[in-house]
Amino acid sequence: MNGTTKTRRLAIRGGLLVIYVLLMVLMIMTGRRHTILIDNKDAADGSYSAINGMEVAIDRQESSEYYPGDRDKAMVQGQTHKIKVTIFDDNKTIEKEFKVPLWSDVMIISVPKLIAGVEPWIEPFTMAEQIQEAQESGPPAGETSFQSIGPAQPMEVEQVPPTP
Amino acid sequence: MSAQKKFVKFFSQYAVVIIFVMITVAAIPPSGLSIKYILQEIITRLGRNSFLVLALLLPIYAGMGLNFGMTLGAMAGQVGLIFAVNFGISNWHGLLFALLVGLPISVFLGWICGLVMNRAKGREMVTGYILAFFINGIYQFFVMYMLGSVIPMGNRAIVLSRGYGIRNTLNLESVRQSLDNILVLRVGGYAVPVVTFIIIALLCIFIVWFKKTKLGQDMRAVGQDMVVAEAAGIPVEKTRIIAIIISTVLACAGQIIFLQNMGNLATYNAHDQTGFFAVAAILVGGASVTHASIANVFIGVTLLHSMFVVSPLAGQKLFGSAMIGEYFRQFIGYGVIALSLVLYAWRTRKAAADARLGLRGGTNGSTKVSAVKNGANGAAGNGGQA
Repeated sequence: MNGTTKTRRLAIRGGLLVIYVLLMVLMIMTGRRHTILIDNKDAADGSYSAINGMEVAIDRQESSEYYPGDRDKAMVQGQTHKIKVTIFDDNKTIEKEFKVPLWSDVMIISVPKLIAGVEPWIEPFTMAEQIQEAQESGPPAGETSFQSIGPAQPMEVEQVPPTP
Repeated sequence: MSAQKKFVKFFSQYAVVIIFVMITVAAIPPSGLSIKYILQEIITRLGRNSFLVLALLLPIYAGMGLNFGMTLGAMAGQVGLIFAVNFGISNWHGLLFALLVGLPISVFLGWICGLVMNRAKGREMVTGYILAFFINGIYQFFVMYMLGSVIPMGNRAIVLSRGYGIRNTLNLESVRQSLDNILVLRVGGYAVPVVTFIIIALLCIFIVWFKKTKLGQDMRAVGQDMVVAEAAGIPVEKTRIIAIIISTVLACAGQIIFLQNMGNLATYNAHDQTGFFAVAAILVGGASVTHASIANVFIGVTLLHSMFVVSPLAGQKLFGSAMIGEYFRQFIGYGVIALSLVLYAWRTRKAAADARLGLRGGTNGSTKVSAVKNGANGAAGNGGQA
């Protein structure tokens, strides 16, 4: 085997290896699944408010109805997707394209933000961050909290006569 | 040849198939299952298992017997699927990714298996069986310890709570039936997974084509007689290694097809029974240690799995416990392999005895020729007798 044949063979093998790796990367990029949370809630600072009623569809998936306070999820594959929002009040339809970062497992789309034109309306969502945010903002008014506020008070125990 | 001898020869050749047909047909009425249900189950199971069973053909052609070492390929396929689930790759993309990950592993394992089998000529089956146990130990170490500790796993849902090692059962929901559901043909109330069957058909065409190639012919020659093949200039050991590598790679793909249909993966023991059931299926289909065809694969999968479908319910109705049917399943599987091996050994000895008798002039010419031919297969030690 002369030098040229050896080099050509090595080049072909190297090329095949590159194609193999590229195919794997392509499968990750086109096949990776992401969870999209679709949110219809008011902003904490009142900068935007939830939509009264709407229908949201991601890509060609079945659409779902959302009312104020609703949150649901959709599963998508790949990185580029479309969201279609139909608002019940004025029958207006809005279509937007969005990209999901490759290594983000869960993204949250705030539809009121999208309608109001507030950026970013799509953000990565992590459970840990949500818990931290909830703790930082404190318990919502009017809801039961199991955290103690102020010094502990002695409990009043009802005296029950001993049973014979 | 007298009618009685003809009958004995026919029965010894197809004993396993005949016994199996009788048991299965007898078990259908007590099972209470409708023919339509059984047929649908058989279609599903044909799609699920045929690829794995087809992986056994090439080593048989190369005279290496039933490749119990196919379990190695199954393990490679499982590693591929674990990574596909870890990266969250869904649909057929996930299956292709699993195949791409499993392919180099299965080639490497097949090469090791081939090397070992070349040092254990004539004992390939038992060697493959024990080698599968050995590699299983390495697989357990890799999956139980390396994944999550040495190799980082991004998906915490599949990792054990201690932080490393994969959970006992993996949900393959992201790739579940993604190959089967690409195109489902509904005919007369039956659902046929078209793409799966197309892939199986392509493999059959590949095997038919491969047998006609130079390498395929070499394999046949090596399977007939290694000494003669070596003398004819065929690289016997290399050919045998290639046969095992192809079988291991096909087993890898077969296990991925099998698991995508099942929808979940028993991480530590899904591969345990892969070789065993594939071997049982091909033997039930009428193959032997030295002879097998594509037809044997489909007959075997159909018969074995129709028995698997009916036996638990037949056991329930006849003995009052479905567990009896489950035990029956295991018993039949091992029984078929044992019976087939015993029959093969008996036929080889009988052929050798007939050949000796023929040389002494005690039998007719046709028997002599066939006996010598069979004797050559057995005596050359290519049969892979366990």
